[in-house]
Amino acid sequence: MGAIEAAHNVRVLGSGDTTVVLGHGFGTDQSVWKHMVPHLVDQYRVILYDNMGAGTTNPDYFDFDRYSTLEGYAYDLIAILEEFNVDKCIYVGHSLSSMTGAIASIFRPDLFHKLIMIAASPRFVNTVDYYGGFEQEEIDQLCDAMESNYKSWISGFAPLVVGGDMDSVAVQEFSRTLFNMRPDIALSVFRTIFTFDLRHFLARVTVSCHIVQSSKDLAVPVAVAEYLHQNLGGKSIVEVVATEGHLPQLSAPELTIPVLLRHIQHDIVDA
Amino acid sequence: MRAGLSTIQQTLTPEAATVLSQSIAEASRRNHGQTTPLHVAATLLVSPSGYLRQACIRSHPNSSHPLQCRALELCFSVALERLPTAQNAVAPGMEPPISNALMAALKRAQAHQRRGCPEQQQQPLLAVKVELDQLIISILDDPSVSRVMREAGFSSPAVKATIEQSSTSSTSHGHHHHHHHLMLCNPGQHPLTNRNAYLNPRLQQGITGKIGNNQRIDEITKLLEIMLRSKKKNPILVGDVEPEAIVKELLKKLENKELGINGVLNNVQVISMEKGLLSDTNQVRAKIKELGDVIESRIGIGGVILDLGDLKWIVEQQHQQQGISENGRMALVEMAKLLARFNEDNNKVWLIGTATCETYLRCQVYHSTMENDWDLQAVPMASRSPMPGMFPSNSLEPLNPLNAVQTPLSSLTRRVCGNVDPAQRTTFCPQCSENYEKELEKLLAAIEKSFNEAQPSLPQWLQNAKLNTTDAKIADRSQEKNQGVISKQKIQELQKKWRDTCLHLHPNFHQMSRADRISPPTLSMTSLYDTNLLGRPIFQPTLLTAKPVGEILQLNPNKVTNIPPASPVRTDLVLGRKRTESTPEKFTHDDQAKEFLGCISSEPKTKLLDKFANALDADTYKKLLKRLMEKAWWQAEAASAVASAVARCRLGSGKRRGGDIWLLFAGPDRVGKKKMASVLAEQICGTSLITICLGARRDDEESDTNVRGKTAIDRIAEAVRRNPFSVIMLDDVDEADVLVRGSIKRAIERGRLTDSHGREVSLGNAVFVLMGDWSTSNPKISSDEKKLASIASGSWQFRLIVREKSAKRRVNWQDEDRPLKPRKEAGPAGLSFDLNLAVGGEYDKTDGSHNSSDLTIDNEDELGLMNRNLCITSVPHDLLNNVDDSIVFKSFDTAFVLQEIKKTITLKFSMIADENLSLEVEDDVLEKILGGLLHDQTSLEEWIEKVLAPSFDRLKARLPPSDERSSSVVRLVVESSDPGGWNKSNGNGDWLPSSILVEQPNCPIPLPVSSLSLAVHTRSLRCSSLQRSLLAARRFRGSALQPPEDALHRSTHHTQP
Repeated sequence: MGAIEAAHNVRVLGSGDTTVVLGHGFGTDQSVWKHMVPHLVDQYRVILYDNMGAGTTNPDYFDFDRYSTLEGYAYDLIAILEEFNVDKCIYVGHSLSSMTGAIASIFRPDLFHKLIMIAASPRFVNTVDYYGGFEQEEIDQLCDAMESNYKSWISGFAPLVVGGDMDSVAVQEFSRTLFNMRPDIALSVFRTIFTFDLRHFLARVTVSCHIVQSSKDLAVPVAVAEYLHQNLGGKSIVEVVATEGHLPQLSAPELTIPVLLRHIQHDIVDA
Repeated sequence: MRAGLSTIQQTLTPEAATVLSQSIAEASRRNHGQTTPLHVAATLLVSPSGYLRQACIRSHPNSSHPLQCRALELCFSVALERLPTAQNAVAPGMEPPISNALMAALKRAQAHQRRGCPEQQQQPLLAVKVELDQLIISILDDPSVSRVMREAGFSSPAVKATIEQSSTSSTSHGHHHHHHHLMLCNPGQHPLTNRNAYLNPRLQQGITGKIGNNQRIDEITKLLEIMLRSKKKNPILVGDVEPEAIVKELLKKLENKELGINGVLNNVQVISMEKGLLSDTNQVRAKIKELGDVIESRIGIGGVILDLGDLKWIVEQQHQQQGISENGRMALVEMAKLLARFNEDNNKVWLIGTATCETYLRCQVYHSTMENDWDLQAVPMASRSPMPGMFPSNSLEPLNPLNAVQTPLSSLTRRVCGNVDPAQRTTFCPQCSENYEKELEKLLAAIEKSFNEAQPSLPQWLQNAKLNTTDAKIADRSQEKNQGVISKQKIQELQKKWRDTCLHLHPNFHQMSRADRISPPTLSMTSLYDTNLLGRPIFQPTLLTAKPVGEILQLNPNKVTNIPPASPVRTDLVLGRKRTESTPEKFTHDDQAKEFLGCISSEPKTKLLDKFANALDADTYKKLLKRLMEKAWWQAEAASAVASAVARCRLGSGKRRGGDIWLLFAGPDRVGKKKMASVLAEQICGTSLITICLGARRDDEESDTNVRGKTAIDRIAEAVRRNPFSVIMLDDVDEADVLVRGSIKRAIERGRLTDSHGREVSLGNAVFVLMGDWSTSNPKISSDEKKLASIASGSWQFRLIVREKSAKRRVNWQDEDRPLKPRKEAGPAGLSFDLNLAVGGEYDKTDGSHNSSDLTIDNEDELGLMNRNLCITSVPHDLLNNVDDSIVFKSFDTAFVLQEIKKTITLKFSMIADENLSLEVEDDVLEKILGGLLHDQTSLEEWIEKVLAPSFDRLKARLPPSDERSSSVVRLVVESSDPGGWNKSNGNGDWLPSSILVEQPNCPIPLPVSSLSLAVHTRSLRCSSLQRSLLAARRFRGSALQPPEDALHRSTHHTQP
């Protein structure tokens, strides 16, 4: 029927026995994987898709209720996997989507061989006993700024998140995809991201997780990667890459992609 | 038939079989010839389990009208009574045979049941037992049953959907979701096999849109068929799902004549009924009469469709007053009359309307004759929203197939938006959770019991839901679901209770769990924060194994503690093939890695970078340099250095990474540095410059109250946080204390600034300009600046005057005045260069600015060189090495600058006015211009263009004829301004006058009042500080109304003592 395919702009590239599914994070779309895809297609069947609300997806499909939690995204992911008859995949998720993958893997562990999480965080806001990297007031400020002037907010936010200068290709790229989102949707997604707290559900993730983390990431402190490692229910492994920014696969592909490929190719071995 | 019956009984589960035999008994009791689906439906309805009844009620959850089920029962009993009795009395004990319709229904049920259980397909057919819900669904599909239901105001598809829904939710999801779709697909409905359970409902709407359209078209044709009948031709769409939309579509199609039906409906007109029909008793009759007239006027064309809208208006006020219901009745009667009147001869008036099941039922109850009087035909609309396997986003109890298995998770994610404290979420200690579990069981049992008491003997299928797992919890869950919201609430209460109890009883547990969570990360964090991490890539290329198969990463959690902190990554990651690696292999790995890196990083990035560089070269650099030169033209070299430094940094080829740029402006020229910094702010960020002073406060800075109590670093952090894309000038870095300097240095290195609360802020794309003097140049220079400021302040104006060229007179005049001038008065500590020497020689030349300028430039260069050397040596090395670029500013050379101003002005004059005419500019005038320039926002050029040039123009018009010009000279003189002009100088920050007085051409030449007043003004300055001069100025203003002589007199009088 292709409705899912069309709605999420799903693209299937390459061929191979193993399927690799790439999920992009907030403010980007599937183009964030452009540096990565060429290295996968010879060996794997690669599935790319846009999250609802991102890229060129139809904003009418963006159900503010459904996507006020990560569950909605997780269902979408499973729906895509079902649609394309994927019975087992390696899921590479960035940021928001890494947690989406985690939740989807709780629902349907059978679908996931392993998860590769880039810049993942179960919660962004600090609590007494947890360092997520953000204070609530900072989030509020960001949201306010976003509401008042989306465009100028992007010009301030993009360099911060990417960790580059305004003129860098990566920042330009990120700004482009971020600006593609309808502002109200972006705000909603942004709020969702900064309100979710998945810490208590990490233990339910039984699929093995490979956590890839920038050594300098404004959004996710390295401590969070360690937290994930300690709290995930299944096997997990952390690799900190000497990159900067929240989108290392876009801003520093030369460092990040070899790491990601290695994690895709190899599994964690039991000690 | 008997044998047949027993065979059939075998295909049913016990409950279903019981229902069937009860139905047969009922048929035989009523002495019916056959057992029909109607019997089964009636039995189901009255059966103590009341399952069908519940489903009916739930099919429109908005209402709980007690009449509804009564109506349903009544309708069925009426329908049963209408059935023909057995012709030849069946022998007692002989049961009425099963009718064909019922047999078909049973077979349908069997087929569904089989299809629903793919895992049982291999089993013999008989092993598949039809369960009660399947039986009900099949019965509801029967036309006769659904007709009766419709009469009672129920929609059998809606009821069916409800049943399907609850049976879905009672089944475990995770493993067999396909199974549901198949099971739930009914041949009567559009078979949507392979529906994706996880699909976005909106998408689903999109998908079903086409099907929905078909359905819609079906419904519309149905409506048309009804309307073309002669009896019962007025359709009322009954259903909960947007029947209005269908009506609207139909009407639209009729209006647009899209339907292509010949005859009756071709030229109909649509009249919408007003809502307020029943508002006033007296108006009902009148309104309906009005309506009648309207209909009459339009009926000739072809026909009229009266759109009644939602029938709610007929019954909604019933409860309020009897009177209003009287209105309703009256309206009904009148309408009926109306219809009768028009339809007597030709059937050309139609009614169309919509109603929810509830509304329609109410209509039937309260206005029992309405259906006949109005000739209505109820058209049930199948509810389309609760599709099998969908996630209704707004239903009361979300149908979440995952709920059954993953309860807490769904609660988690759903709750996220609420502000539930995560720590509060069901985390008890084992002891308490055990207790909680026990109590939960009890509670559930109690709920179940009460539920069963209310509805005795819950059907068995409900009690043990079809689950593959025997997990008690899951069973609990499904029951909970069926037993409604109450139990859910109770469970939540229970959870809360135990959470609180646990928190009270076992605070240690909660603390411990917290500690558990936090301590391990912090433990290994120290290793992760190792500084080496930042410097080099953690994974050496040797780890980059490119061998495709057989290798696996190894997780070795035990190692974590053993590893030296310097190599944190290896703690986690060990190659699977660890010990077998040999040197040659390493080599290949290295090569492969390099190849790899090469092919990834090379082409696109560099190309784009070049492109950017070019663009930047072309635009930003030039523009920036232009602006810099405009504003601080006396620092030409520094300006180009700044511009190129900025361009370099923004290309990313600065010393460091990251978006923040650090520039160091050294040298004594505060004004020049500041001017350039603000140009940077304006050009790079489009904002105004943020200045943060790190040293001792200067008195010329306005004291900012919100600065108090904050350290300089905090102020920087705040500024960055407020706008990460700004230019921030850190002034007097040379005077900053060690701590501040230290944190700035760290910030430069790390791209992040830590404020005094320990919070980090990323520096983003901010441009920092570190300013400091670091030169040991004579303090006289900076005192020059101050003096210029005081010169420029006060009240004064410029005037252009034309004089005869007479050296003597001029000299006299000058001699008279000069001793009084502030520059002289400043004495040896005054300006560093006496312009008069050079200027004096020049005065008799017509165009003589060149000669003297050589001298001054030489002089200047010497000074500059000296300063530069001084600067470089004295700037601390750590700063110098860390910043992206450092620019040394020459010292501010007043003489040079004054000379330049003069040059520019005279050049302009000769261009505008007359090149043979000379312009004399006194150096006190120049000083004032300079003073103003330093403090003003405008640049010299701007001021000349805006102010000076127009005045030259005006002067030109008044100049003597050109042959006389050679003997005259134009002078630009300064004079104290008249009271009106005073405000401008200090008031709005404009230091330079915005207009220049031009002498009246015919004005008598002798010493003008203005120069006298200048004299007075300067005299008052002499005895004085700025305060005094202000005082004097105020006096002038005070005397504004008096004649100037008098003013002069007075002020002289005052200042003399």
